[in-house]
Amino acid sequence: MAKLTMAQALNQALREAMDEDDAVLVLGEDVGVDGGVFRVTEGLLDRFGAARAIDTPLAESAIVGVSIGMAAHGLRPVCEIQFSGFSYLAMQQLEGHAARLRWRSRGRFSASLVMRMPYGGGVRALEHHSESKEVYFAHTPGLKLVAPSGPRNARALLRAAIRDPDPVVFLEPKRLYRAFREEVPDDDEPMALGESQTRREGNDLTLISWGAMLQPTLKAAEQLAKEGTEAEVIDLLSLSPLDDTRLADSARRTGRVVIVHEAHRSYGPGAEVIARLVEKAFWYLEAPIARVTGYDTQVPFFARETDYLPDVARIVTSAHQVLEA
Amino acid sequence: MILIRYVEQSLLRLYAQGLMGGTVHTCIGQEGCAVGVVSAIDRQRDMLFSNHRGHGHYLAYCGDIHGLIAEIMGLPIGVCGGMGGSQHIQRENFYTNGIQGAGVPIAVGMGLAERFKGTGAVSLAFLGDGTFGEGAVYEAMNLAALWSAPTLFVVEHNGYAQSTPSSLQHAGDLSRRAEPFGIPVTRTEGADVIAVFEVANRLLGQIRAGKGPRLLFLDTHRFAPHSKGDDFRDREELERINRECDPIQRLAAQIGADTYEQVRKAAEIEVDIVLQELGVQ
Repeated sequence: MAKLTMAQALNQALREAMDEDDAVLVLGEDVGVDGGVFRVTEGLLDRFGAARAIDTPLAESAIVGVSIGMAAHGLRPVCEIQFSGFSYLAMQQLEGHAARLRWRSRGRFSASLVMRMPYGGGVRALEHHSESKEVYFAHTPGLKLVAPSGPRNARALLRAAIRDPDPVVFLEPKRLYRAFREEVPDDDEPMALGESQTRREGNDLTLISWGAMLQPTLKAAEQLAKEGTEAEVIDLLSLSPLDDTRLADSARRTGRVVIVHEAHRSYGPGAEVIARLVEKAFWYLEAPIARVTGYDTQVPFFARETDYLPDVARIVTSAHQVLEA
Repeated sequence: MILIRYVEQSLLRLYAQGLMGGTVHTCIGQEGCAVGVVSAIDRQRDMLFSNHRGHGHYLAYCGDIHGLIAEIMGLPIGVCGGMGGSQHIQRENFYTNGIQGAGVPIAVGMGLAERFKGTGAVSLAFLGDGTFGEGAVYEAMNLAALWSAPTLFVVEHNGYAQSTPSSLQHAGDLSRRAEPFGIPVTRTEGADVIAVFEVANRLLGQIRAGKGPRLLFLDTHRFAPHSKGDDFRDREELERINRECDPIQRLAAQIGADTYEQVRKAAEIEVDIVLQELGVQ
């Protein structure tokens, strides 16, 4: 058991997977000599050699395309897109082929690849280095979409994603890479994709979040507790498939729900969560479901970034409105 | 080649009769490219990534007329359960898709995977001259050359992307586009199936020997429209290429009229039997 940052925990997951299975390899821009811009692939080149820790040119489409070919022919590529804002250059390969290979071949082939990428704001970066566009991937049938919220689940989810037979988009909340440390068990910790976790129990209100937004959401729950409101906090972990059973069970119990995400508001991931809750828990709801989200603009540069990102105060205000409705 | 042409002509007829959905891009006139190249591969291990004009490649690969026609008719007995259609056919190591250039990086990745496993397999990516407009092609060629991927790029240069001639789309000489990457290019006439086979065989041997990717540039002609009713080419020019550049007529001259007639009849019967089985003859 070691206390690791999320970057270290992800690095451990990659090392373990590559130790365990020769078919696992990493490729991407600066993943070899540099160890990745966030140091997630550090040391892999020394340990596994250039054939399995592969520096690529700046060519996102080819990185994902080559990964699909490798995956279809028995390898387990884990490709890194340096920032999620660069992934649209690879969208054709991801959406048009990785996501469709199993369907198109009636299950005979699959693209068992993982596309890792840092996403989200909070590191005072430029717009393409700060965004949260989960829905582009979640909307695509055939892709799985995962977003860890800390070192321990990051390690377990990445191991699960690499083992998964289907393409998994693995979103790493970049503000959490070194934000805090957690005990990460030495032994492999099985974790299934598509399962959310209850991070705090409560019967008055359900707060739903994931990724970097889980931290302000948990803090908001603590503040509400001081006021005598016990909020349940659910960490989605997987956005696709979405574990709506746990969400609906909680919503039926509390009748009041607030969803917190960095992504833009309109057609954002929260809209799908609300739709599922309306389908599964409508008659138990005591108040309209609220969303605390980023705005329908691009993520502003650092001086205005805090205006854009949901924070504890906005979450608490929204919770009050839902409680009073 | 004769069999491919009968199938393609049958598909156009069935489409006109409303028995098929989607779209049908035939390779009539380009059969020499498909048969010449695919006859040179090792079917047990090599991989083909075809494109939107892939029926000829598929038939040359496995001869599965029944599965192909049923697939394009959307029938559950089609090779992909009737879900893929003309442009999304996958069987064993044969893949297609309709997105221009998209299969090229995937084919490179397949080749790299097989090299990693040490199987000696080669991957082939088929592209047309129009495909050179797509950036993915250059990304893939760069990687293939840089990592010495066992990949054969096969360009079927028919001079048109749908209705737009190559001269209105591409600056410079297309046949030299791969050279700056250090990929050797061999140019051959696609209508001469035996020449295509011999060149493909030689290039595959070089790739299997670890010499890195190669590009085979085939000059060819599409006799039929891109899809169906979208042919704006000069009538006289079409007649000329039909007369002078038909790979089947070329082969007929080489094998003699009697042999040609035997092969032609056999192909016709084979296709007709399938059409009868499918209830469309």
